[in-house]
Amino acid sequence: MKPWHLMKATLGATALVAPLMLGSASAEDAVSVSHYFTGELGQKGITEIFTEFTDKTGIAVADSPIGHEDFKTGILVRAAGNSLPDVFSYWAGARTQFVVDAGNIMDIGDMWSADKLDDVVAKSVADGATLYNGKRYLVPFGYHYAGMFYNPKVMTDAGITTMPKTWDDLLAACKTLKDKGIDPIALGSKNRWPAQFWFDYLLLRTAGPDYRAKLMSGAASYTDAEVKKAMGLWKDLVDAGCFAANSNANDWTDASDQVARGDAAMTLMGTWITGYWNGQGLQPGTDYDFFEFPMVAEGVPNAVVGPVDGWLIAANAKNAEGAKKLVAWLASDPAVQAKWAQIQGALSANVKVDASTYTPVMRRALKTVADADAFAFNYDLATPPPVAEVGLNMFAEFMNDSSNIDALMDKTQAAAADAFKQ
Amino acid sequence: MEQRETFWRIVLLAPALLVFGVFVVWPLLDSFRYSFTDWNGFDPNYNLVGLDNFARIFRDPEFRNAILNTAIWIVAALLLPVLAGLGLALLLNTGVRGSRVFKSIFYLPICLAAVIVGQIWIWIYQPDWGLLNTAIEAVTGVRRFNFAWLAEPSSALGAVIVAWAWQQTGLAMVIFLAGLTAIPSDLLEAAAIDGVPRWRQTLHIVLPMLRPATVVVVALSVINALKGFDILYIMTGGGPFHSSNTLAFFMYEESFKKYRMGYGSAISVVLFLIALSIIVIYFRQLRKLGEIYD
Repeated sequence: MKPWHLMKATLGATALVAPLMLGSASAEDAVSVSHYFTGELGQKGITEIFTEFTDKTGIAVADSPIGHEDFKTGILVRAAGNSLPDVFSYWAGARTQFVVDAGNIMDIGDMWSADKLDDVVAKSVADGATLYNGKRYLVPFGYHYAGMFYNPKVMTDAGITTMPKTWDDLLAACKTLKDKGIDPIALGSKNRWPAQFWFDYLLLRTAGPDYRAKLMSGAASYTDAEVKKAMGLWKDLVDAGCFAANSNANDWTDASDQVARGDAAMTLMGTWITGYWNGQGLQPGTDYDFFEFPMVAEGVPNAVVGPVDGWLIAANAKNAEGAKKLVAWLASDPAVQAKWAQIQGALSANVKVDASTYTPVMRRALKTVADADAFAFNYDLATPPPVAEVGLNMFAEFMNDSSNIDALMDKTQAAAADAFKQ
Repeated sequence: MEQRETFWRIVLLAPALLVFGVFVVWPLLDSFRYSFTDWNGFDPNYNLVGLDNFARIFRDPEFRNAILNTAIWIVAALLLPVLAGLGLALLLNTGVRGSRVFKSIFYLPICLAAVIVGQIWIWIYQPDWGLLNTAIEAVTGVRRFNFAWLAEPSSALGAVIVAWAWQQTGLAMVIFLAGLTAIPSDLLEAAAIDGVPRWRQTLHIVLPMLRPATVVVVALSVINALKGFDILYIMTGGGPFHSSNTLAFFMYEESFKKYRMGYGSAISVVLFLIALSIIVIYFRQLRKLGEIYD
């Protein structure tokens, strides 16, 4: 063989073999799944749930979990490469809207009605989290509620026996705690998002859900009086010294630890904090409890804030039938839902889950959501991701220096308007 | 025979070239292409926008902030690890007792992953119980000194640079030590016999003869500074609110957090040009040195 021919043959063989080596070896009928439930308990729980599904249906599940923060980027890269897994977990709201608009997601309207999911998914969650551009895309797996979690012992020791119901109550409680040498509020805004609940609730409690929806979609401005009023209230709290020092240096778990240790009295956080605290052996109701974010203005609908975790099916799913079966089962089986809620410290979106499976604190959280007039996604799920980046930075900047709200809002509005143009 | 040799050269180089082509050259050219588009990173549809992204770069205050921070980092890279590494090398080269042990100790940080170095320094900077603030309390007598080094925009970048330089110093030291062993000892002995004091020997013989080592140290240091991403990601994430953003981090944020892949690609092109000019200067210097020492 002439050298040139040998080389051609070698390159040719390499070209033939390379794709085989790169290609995955997964079984043909397995449903490929990716999710961000990579915490120790979450991963173990979801593996058990998938195994149960395979035992019941004979459909294999090829699971590839990815850590929370990496997932946000990783799943979009896979979308870009047209290689989404058949099923993946995702946050309802603006993030789902983003991938739906790019045409990557399967419309599951037929499955929703065939499996009668209207009968099992709580209506408030179904209306807000599953419909995009008028069609059904997301199946809720669980959701969370953000409330003011506190250390009951610290509150009692400081003489606070009724939890704040109004803004003035909160300011008064803050003063009482400070006089006792306790940091009233812990906030770990190092990763920025924990600060968002303050903005969410203050805006919802003063301007209401309709105005907030406008701001989240770009129809209102960060320089509006409504936003400045909410920021002004937040500033009052900062100026009164209610927040523990160095919030931007701490993560949400640091803030949770401050409350658990009794260095701080309360923290505004999602119900996943109960999963964290339970894991450390704290007793719900005695070692921690929660109260609703205080009412601020009269006549404003009572909204609650939180994220919804759901499942999406890729538009080009290889095993679409298996994917639909899996997703429908994950949402509608009450035992699976109860188990998952317990593991995650989450609330089940399935109305058939027996309330007695929850801890007393979570039962109250469930009732709080049920009694609310509206359920709103937290900031980074309510506004498009590029805009959320702008706002989250603003919250961290505000916690560092709250002296000039006007200038901060001008800057934020300019950047947000630019991000909305995309 | 000649032909046969050429053939085998190509065959043996092919795997490396293939990998280099697929994982370096192709993505590089692709990012040039994307820098002229408004691609968001995953939508198959995007538009050509000409030079818009580049025009935007020069209007963007965040870019100015990132390039200023990158410049600060490069200047620090020229000074901190180079001077500290040189100082340690000169000191250890005098044959201090236990110099071998010290060499290993000073070199150790370079064996650690940047992520670990970042985490160690996060603990050092921790406001309430970190080593630094505790030491400041002990020395000054101030009670409850809890300055948050990594959470204050005024100090975040500097704090990360110190941690990074701490790691890089060992590498600089080793290269300088290697350079020192290459200096003929008879030169120094002759100077000593002539009664030249130690510091003048260092100034007029040692330092000039360390030029090749210095070129390598400076180039590596600057290139490592431009790559400085992992330690920043761990320690501040470019924050608080962009204050410690560098070009590399700014590019990442725009591409993967704000989903402006086109704009991010344009930033990466600018970063590439900066790195390229530094590398060109570096190779020119190497060639000059080659001419001198050949």
